[in-house]
Amino acid sequence: MSKVKCNHCHLEFSDSVMIHDEEHRFCCKGCQGIFHLLKDEGLESFYSKMGDTTLEPPTEQFEASGNFDTPAFYERFVSMDEHGLLQVALVIEGIHCAACVWLNEKALHTMNGVIEAHINYTNNKARITWDGDVLKLSAIIDMIRAVGYNAFPYDATFQEVRANKERKEYYLRMAVATFGAMNMMWVAIAQYGGYFTGITQEIKTILNIAEWALATPVLFYSGWVFYRGAYYGLKNKTVTMDLLVVTGSSLAYLYSIYITVFEKGEAYFDSVAMIITFVLFGKFLEVLSRKNAADTLDVMSKNIPAEVSIVDGEGIREVNVNEVNVGDIIRIRSGERVAIDGEVISGEGSFDESNLTGESEPIFKRPNDIIISGTTSIDALLQYRATKDFAHSTLSHLVNLLENALSHKPNIEQLANRLSQHFSSIILFLAIATFWGWYFWPHSFDRSLMVGISVIIIACPCALALATPLATLVGLTLGAKRGILFKSAAQIETMAKATMLVLDKTGTITQGRPEVVYATIHGVFNRTYLYSLAKASRHPISRGICEYLERMNEIEDQILLEDVREIPARGILARIDGVMIVGGNELLMKERGIDIDHISDKSIFYYAVDGILVATYELRDIPKERASESISALKKFGLRVVMLTGDHEAAAKRVAQEVGIDEVYAHLNPEEKAQFIEVAHREGYAVVMAGDGVNDLLALARADIGIAMGSGSDIAIEVSDVVLMNDSLISLVEAFGISRRTYGLIKQNLGISLVYNTITIPLAMMGYVIPLIAAISMSFSSLLVVGNSMRSRWMYK
Amino acid sequence: MDGWVVAMMLGASLFLGSLALGAFLWAIKNGQFDDEKKMMTHVHFDDEKDLNDLADQQKKREELKNKEYRPE
Repeated sequence: MSKVKCNHCHLEFSDSVMIHDEEHRFCCKGCQGIFHLLKDEGLESFYSKMGDTTLEPPTEQFEASGNFDTPAFYERFVSMDEHGLLQVALVIEGIHCAACVWLNEKALHTMNGVIEAHINYTNNKARITWDGDVLKLSAIIDMIRAVGYNAFPYDATFQEVRANKERKEYYLRMAVATFGAMNMMWVAIAQYGGYFTGITQEIKTILNIAEWALATPVLFYSGWVFYRGAYYGLKNKTVTMDLLVVTGSSLAYLYSIYITVFEKGEAYFDSVAMIITFVLFGKFLEVLSRKNAADTLDVMSKNIPAEVSIVDGEGIREVNVNEVNVGDIIRIRSGERVAIDGEVISGEGSFDESNLTGESEPIFKRPNDIIISGTTSIDALLQYRATKDFAHSTLSHLVNLLENALSHKPNIEQLANRLSQHFSSIILFLAIATFWGWYFWPHSFDRSLMVGISVIIIACPCALALATPLATLVGLTLGAKRGILFKSAAQIETMAKATMLVLDKTGTITQGRPEVVYATIHGVFNRTYLYSLAKASRHPISRGICEYLERMNEIEDQILLEDVREIPARGILARIDGVMIVGGNELLMKERGIDIDHISDKSIFYYAVDGILVATYELRDIPKERASESISALKKFGLRVVMLTGDHEAAAKRVAQEVGIDEVYAHLNPEEKAQFIEVAHREGYAVVMAGDGVNDLLALARADIGIAMGSGSDIAIEVSDVVLMNDSLISLVEAFGISRRTYGLIKQNLGISLVYNTITIPLAMMGYVIPLIAAISMSFSSLLVVGNSMRSRWMYK
Repeated sequence: MDGWVVAMMLGASLFLGSLALGAFLWAIKNGQFDDEKKMMTHVHFDDEKDLNDLADQQKKREELKNKEYRPE
């Protein structure tokens, strides 16, 4: 059968299953709807713009958009600008290509009340301005959904706005500094030429004035950050690198003005511009690689349901979570997330508690069982009584703890910061001593001042300021090449100093889903029936069976079974050709009166046809590839390796033994995991935590370094500091390797700049430093540090 | 004489340079470089129709701004 492309999403399907609409073909109603909508709106050029990219077919299950029009919602997300127009920030899901951005913007622009829709292609965030009198927000959301995307609002938080503003401010300052320093260079070349071959005082003054003009914006505009830093440093009674930079450059600037005006000696304007530019560049690298923690809580709040269905005398009504009282009766349907803790009154069904335990196996609940917020109903339709209000429920408790942990992240002081404090004090002291030494020796005031200033200029912390950012930049690139994303440069150093590694079991050490490890066939049976039976359930065990059969190539197409019935916590039943087929666990087999002989401690899936057992499959969550090899490599780094899990003791022990971990703590809930890390902190360990699920969030946030698996939950990725894109434990080893190597490089770079200074400072104190030497020395020391970083990069490919 | 030539050339080139710097600073402040992916790809979609749409959008905005001052 030939494959045909869907006219909207461009995915290929066989022609027989497509919807035929004149000459067009669609894979589903959704695609068809969007195609016609775009045609009616005159936006069909979207398809030529999107080229070869394919889209996801639209999903049709959306919450009613009416929720977006409630006053509470407006108060939280919508703001009003000075013209009385409304503004909202949205995150748009499903954007794949530039054409998607174009389509969304165009579609919104066709709406009557929309004034401006601006979508950022890089982060998929949209800013929409509209007239509240003409249009409701729900209509805007509906339009985005109608063209096949989804949107949810986010709080453009203060933090994020500030982070962007800071970054932009640095771009501006960098632009001015680079412009000033570069133009200064060609003017300075004339100066140096004149110094050696002779120059009239008139020309020299003209050049000085030009340099003065260039240095002024660099010092006072670009260098403003240093003045600010020095001021706050002094306020806290510490000598910072900023203070050194500010004193050196300001004194050199004032001295040079004096030289220019009184037309004697050499001006140091070029050194001023150069110091500011180099050090600003180092600071700029730091700002660029700083973690943007702002988005984290947006994702969190997106996952908390805003309303619940309450059942009272009058029927069912939707109520804001904050208005629910203890004792209210709440209804939960399949697919809904629980917002409030409670106790089941009537109904039953299974829940996904992986958010809390990390285990994907559903938990079956019936009356009198406890319902925990944060879990999701898989197929349960039940009513339960709230035993806590929203603020005291597990979910909001966890969110509070998380916010707390994120804002109190332990901060290991960086080597460069500590070093620069001492360095700065020493240099300032030496400069003052040099000045008085020369003044009393006896020399003129001018000359003594000049020598004093030259000490600060030559000791200019250019190389020192570049040492750490350059090294971490190397670390970041090395990591990125291997699929290891360090979210912030400072974390590399922290990670290198770690002494303890805490690993989550499911999904981190193991695959996170059961796989068939052993199959026993007792009789002849049709594999396709079993496949179709297993397909009917979304239980991880059934999925494991399906995957196994697919892998073994034992199946053809899925066929249609009759009377398919899934019994929670048991298995699946169905009928085909008048024969009963049964697949499930021991309990189900016993209830059906089917004989089984095989007993094992692993999860077992039995399959019986017509009351006779024909196959037994053993399933287990097996460790990832090369897991034990990685663990022993990690131990060689001198790390104390510990495994924490929400799973039960036996399963935990077995996995630990297999991969070679000696310390195991089982049966922990998210809070206990975090507490474990807290205790380790108190014992003096610097802790790295690797995990993948929502149940690891708190621990990830609490640890010095949180490492998330790329396939893990979005929130885990947001909260963590390092992300392993390929999920493997080998990358974990590499992450440690890279961080240690980078830390070594930082030390080397700092060493180079310090050694350099111990050689050049005595020269300056003796008064041998003229502007040219200062400039050359500054560039040379910076080049040494850059060169060393490059070398390390090439050597460690 | 010499001095004047040097001063004028220096002045002129620094002035021209600062104009370019000014334009660059304006572009950063204006958000022209905020979205690097869009900046590179969206050029393809800037045909006549798109520009017209943009102009319409501008008109719409002006109208709404004016509407506010209208006594009701």
